[in-house]
Amino acid sequence: MSPESTDLRRQFVEADEHGVDALLVALAASAGAEAAKSDRLCRSSLEALGSDLERAAQAIAKRFSAGACLYTFGNGASSTDAASVAALFSRSPGGTLLPARCLVADQAVLTAIGDDVGHGLIVSRQLVAFAQVGDIAMGYSTTGNSETVIRAFREAKHRGLLTVGFVGREGGQIAASDVLDHCFVVRSHSRHRIQEAQAALSYRLWAAVQQQLAPGSGRPALGRQQPAANQELLEPEEAR
Amino acid sequence: MSTNRLLATNDAPSQDLLGPDAADLAAASFAMARRFASGATLWCAAPSWPWHAQRLAAEFVHPVTPAEHPLPAVVVPGDHLWENLGPIARSGDMLLVVSRSDEPSVAGLRQRAKAWGVLTVWIGAGSRPEPGSADYVLWVDDDETISSYGGRFALIYHLLSELTDVCLEHPGLLEPEHAVCGDEVCITCSDEGRLGEVVAIRADGRAQVRTPAGLDTVDTTLIENARPGDLVLIHAGAAVTLVEVSRR
Repeated sequence: MSPESTDLRRQFVEADEHGVDALLVALAASAGAEAAKSDRLCRSSLEALGSDLERAAQAIAKRFSAGACLYTFGNGASSTDAASVAALFSRSPGGTLLPARCLVADQAVLTAIGDDVGHGLIVSRQLVAFAQVGDIAMGYSTTGNSETVIRAFREAKHRGLLTVGFVGREGGQIAASDVLDHCFVVRSHSRHRIQEAQAALSYRLWAAVQQQLAPGSGRPALGRQQPAANQELLEPEEAR
Repeated sequence: MSTNRLLATNDAPSQDLLGPDAADLAAASFAMARRFASGATLWCAAPSWPWHAQRLAAEFVHPVTPAEHPLPAVVVPGDHLWENLGPIARSGDMLLVVSRSDEPSVAGLRQRAKAWGVLTVWIGAGSRPEPGSADYVLWVDDDETISSYGGRFALIYHLLSELTDVCLEHPGLLEPEHAVCGDEVCITCSDEGRLGEVVAIRADGRAQVRTPAGLDTVDTTLIENARPGDLVLIHAGAAVTLVEVSRR
């Protein structure tokens, strides 16, 4: 149980005695307080991770320039973060459209793999099918302990992908492992507040990648050459 | 809130953290909890950003706290929103839409929801919809792309689900509304301007219409060429006006 939701509950134990109006006033006050918490967490995360985001953006832009595809994934609510960031890169207005795909969107593939070989492999099996050396893997887990996400990162790392992770709490097993080239930890125990901050970080990352790829940035123009042909991409990334 | 929040690190603290009025958010949460308590289903639609609808449904079906009771919340699939929702929504249900104000595919959906007796909550950003477009409008006065991708919409519906959960812990306050009311006039009080959706035209020229109170048969001599899917205003057993409705 998240500490936030417990706090929220405690504030309302006496609401029944005071009726609907009192409940609505208390709800509005707590909405304002939680929104302020969210805003503080977004700001502190952006500030603490700003330079790491810049470094990740450079590495990601370099891969896109060499023709990489971005694969995104997460479990449960985090799967919708993965869908959002894939759409942000591949079809949002206001930037260069880049090849990006969410790997937790196709129910036929997900239920087939989940049923036959296990839920923990729903993403990593797809990486085996699709991913090329030089591609990018971006995963979301608010606990940092999602088995699906850990296994996907392991497979991605093994196959020469750039690995970028967004995790919550203290980072969990994912942050503690060596599978990530770029790891962004949002330090909160509320799943909702973590996801709001992760969205803000992801948006900043996208904007920074766009900046890197903009004409005049000194980066090579976006190419569609075969990523595997580029030996430079096989070298370990500067990370963390 | 400044659109620069996500791009700059050192801007001054924002004065308006929430976007929509906190009181509106509280009122919407309470209305939703009341309907959940009566057995309603929450239908979620976000045509441009389908993952918001998926997240919303997951929030209620599988809440943050696993001990909480799962609530019926479902994504309305696809492009044909009102055609998809029409046959499965029941009077008393809820529809939560995340979209821009000029999203064509939700215009017909929100209008029809009224005829079906479905409560509407609309989350969005950018230019505001006209007043009365939904029962509850939770709007962010900011760029819609940043609001969608940068976490502002998530904040609103996360709070909505958190507050709804709190309301559900006070069942004594969640007595069902005594009647299903449209915007204009309560059907238990009067028959003025009742909204209905034409389901079928019968051989005798009368029309079968769907209203919040259920199926009804009304006279159509005052309106011409009513077709299934049209919205009509009903008075004293007759459809008196065709209401302009988006068929998208």
